[in-house]
Amino acid sequence: MKKIEAIIQPFKLEEVKEALKNIGIDGMTISEVRGHGRQKGHKEVYRGQEYNVDLLPKVRFDLVVANERLEEVVDAITTAARTGKIGDGKIFVYEVAEAIRIRNGDRGDSAV
Amino acid sequence: MLAARTALVDQEVRARWTTMPQGIALAAVGGYGRAELFPCSDIDLLILIPNDSVQSAIKEPLSLLLRDLWDQGLRISQSVHTPQDCNRIDNTNAELSVSLLDRRFLAGDEALFRQIKDPRAELGKDIARLTKERHLEYQNTIYHLEPNVKDAPGGLRDVQVLRWFAKLGAGDEHSPPDTEVLFEIRCFLHYLAGRDDNRFTFERQDEVTKLIGAESVEDLMRRYYRAVRGIARLANRRLDRFEAKGSSLFSQFRDKTSRLSNSDFSMVRGEVFLRGSHAIEKDPGLVMRLFEFLATHGVTAAWDTLDRLEHGRETFGEWARKQPTLLKPFRAALGKPHAAQALRILHECRLLEEIFPELLDMEALVIRDFYHRYTVDEHTMVAITAVLNLRTMAGDPFAELAAETQDLDLLAIALLFHDAGKGSPGEGHVGASVRVAGPALRRAGISDRAWGIVHFLIDAHLELSAAISGRDLSDPEVLRSMAERVGTVERLKLLTLLTWADISAVNPTAMTPWRRQSLWKLYLQLNSALTRELSARIAPPETEGTPEMRAFLAGLPPRYLRIHSQAEREEHLRLNGERGEKGIAASLVRTEIWTLNVVADDRPFLFASAAAAISSFGFNILKAEAFSNAQGKVIDTFAFADEHRSLDLNPDEVPNVVRTVIRAVRGEISMEQLMQRRPKVRPDARILASARVGFNNDASPASTLIELLTQDRPGLLCDIATVISKSGGNIEVVLVDTEAKKAIDVFYVTKAGAKLTDVEAGELVSDLRKVAIPE
Repeated sequence: MKKIEAIIQPFKLEEVKEALKNIGIDGMTISEVRGHGRQKGHKEVYRGQEYNVDLLPKVRFDLVVANERLEEVVDAITTAARTGKIGDGKIFVYEVAEAIRIRNGDRGDSAV
Repeated sequence: MLAARTALVDQEVRARWTTMPQGIALAAVGGYGRAELFPCSDIDLLILIPNDSVQSAIKEPLSLLLRDLWDQGLRISQSVHTPQDCNRIDNTNAELSVSLLDRRFLAGDEALFRQIKDPRAELGKDIARLTKERHLEYQNTIYHLEPNVKDAPGGLRDVQVLRWFAKLGAGDEHSPPDTEVLFEIRCFLHYLAGRDDNRFTFERQDEVTKLIGAESVEDLMRRYYRAVRGIARLANRRLDRFEAKGSSLFSQFRDKTSRLSNSDFSMVRGEVFLRGSHAIEKDPGLVMRLFEFLATHGVTAAWDTLDRLEHGRETFGEWARKQPTLLKPFRAALGKPHAAQALRILHECRLLEEIFPELLDMEALVIRDFYHRYTVDEHTMVAITAVLNLRTMAGDPFAELAAETQDLDLLAIALLFHDAGKGSPGEGHVGASVRVAGPALRRAGISDRAWGIVHFLIDAHLELSAAISGRDLSDPEVLRSMAERVGTVERLKLLTLLTWADISAVNPTAMTPWRRQSLWKLYLQLNSALTRELSARIAPPETEGTPEMRAFLAGLPPRYLRIHSQAEREEHLRLNGERGEKGIAASLVRTEIWTLNVVADDRPFLFASAAAAISSFGFNILKAEAFSNAQGKVIDTFAFADEHRSLDLNPDEVPNVVRTVIRAVRGEISMEQLMQRRPKVRPDARILASARVGFNNDASPASTLIELLTQDRPGLLCDIATVISKSGGNIEVVLVDTEAKKAIDVFYVTKAGAKLTDVEAGELVSDLRKVAIPE
């Protein structure tokens, strides 16, 4: 199993959710996060003063999928979240040792 | 039923008590003591022993007794105490003392039971503390979508609090509120859950609606909220009174407030009473004066006053709905420091709904939503409270926006109606809210300008939050079209504040730092887009008025069209035709405030000298704008306050003001002469701490943008404009706003038809700082 962590532009949230739903992925955790990568922050001038907006609002998706679905899911997220501009975000993939469904104790792929 | 269940349990308990040794006693306390045993309530038993040495002797028989009762399916919660323990009142055993207020003898040594004394009135302090802590856990509101019928404010626990206060001699003559529906609901909740679970969740609301035989969930919930509202009001009043009794600070305040009494109201013990019997029936307008009185002084309405408000409700409603200018006193009250608190009193007595019956559809309305915690009317009240209270906060960027914003009262009105359409089935609520607000506010006499703002705010109230999560804000085209939709910086500020309040009032944690930052960033981006737009020039469409009007409008920025009505544009065109050889014409117009219009050929010191002329009369400039059209004609407008009403009282003076402005602009009177008599203002360290002057050479393609924020003072505008003109700068566009003693000015400046160099702009900023920010 793989854990996918995708950090994307907030306005792409619905599109990415829809793309995942279309390939049968319903379980995910979504959080509002702030940070920056290469995009850095930027400066707004407000009332004659520069105003730093250094940590940019982003949305993070966390989901765990079976190994064989990894590429398909990564493709779906990438396609839906891409605008081609700086700031589109990143996807990180991790190995998952085990998954357990608390309700009934299911383990492995059937628990995700 | 509760009493019958209690009697059954009494029988079971007494029957088993016979195995216990002599010399001890058994008492029922808590809900069991009150003979109000809900199906799954704990059965609170107090075992009274004469002294601690008896403990070991009763251990064995007591555990047998308790086991036996448990085996009967009774959830026993027992404690063993001596009468001395029971008679001690301190912080460590407050809950025991409170539970003893409901004690009832069951079996054993009755003389021992009688050794428990009635608690002293000091216990009230503990009850008040525990109650306040409990209310705080529920954000001090009754309007939770999924309430806890026992512990939430106005719940059954508050009914007990009222009874306890009465037992301690701190109650009053008012009969206990209607509690039947709460008892019924709690019984069903226990049956359904099979345990002492008092959360009235959406699922349970559906089930209980059927079991009780209510018409609909909405009906049941309205019944619930109405009952709870009465209980909560009574309980809070009792708490306030109890706390006030012991507070010397309060007595001082109370003494002070008695001086506020007037011919309408008398202040007694810090509370407002209406003078005269049937006061509302004889003079329904008294309610609006009371609203303003409460909003101004932040005092509370006496119980008797609330009673009379409720009794006079219909008379007031009939009167209010026939008043064509009711919105005027309503808006005036909203501008006062304690308006949020006063508005809530109107709502709680359902007087707000008498003024605007259109709001009744959202009263105690439950819209099931994962994020929303409150009913629609409470969400509305929380949002209005949040926005009006922003005025008193410092250091927060949204509070700063609120402090600079005119029309905060209109924002509160827009919030009042923003979700009013949620009560209309079958359509999107935004359009429905606009449709509900229109006739209601028209009936109350809203002006076209005010309705324009309120209509826009209701209509656009979801747009900023939707943009944060759904639009690519790095795309300049997206920002440009949003800026166009918003129109002016003034509207942007109001819409930003409305969005802030709307999100904040969803639930106590809805305004996450993420959303807050996203909203602020969007405000900055749109503000910058709107400021940039000032250097754009319009080409009026063929359909826009006469050829003369089209020629006049050509080259003005889009803002000119957005802020000036047709009548104002026609007045400017008329002045343009009157310029004649002098090259200038001016007029003074009275609306809500005075506005001076000047149309002139461009010339040095034009703006500065007009500003100086106005200030020389002692008028306070609130807003000023200067634009120029393609023909090189300058249109200056100055909105000013005439605090001493000298123009209203001396209308003959109006032509003199106009004449002085024209003479000043033509250089026939020197500015030094005009500014000699301006009053001095003491520096305000708080405003000056955030004062700044800066320039921006990227915001506009053709001009240098000078932005300035400082403490306002008479003649400031004239001084600033003079510095710019002396430096050889030409003022192309000016936006001047004054609010809460702050001046917020934006100047678009050119020199010889081009932007200033960075060096020139830096020097100008340094010169401006000297006149705008005192050392």
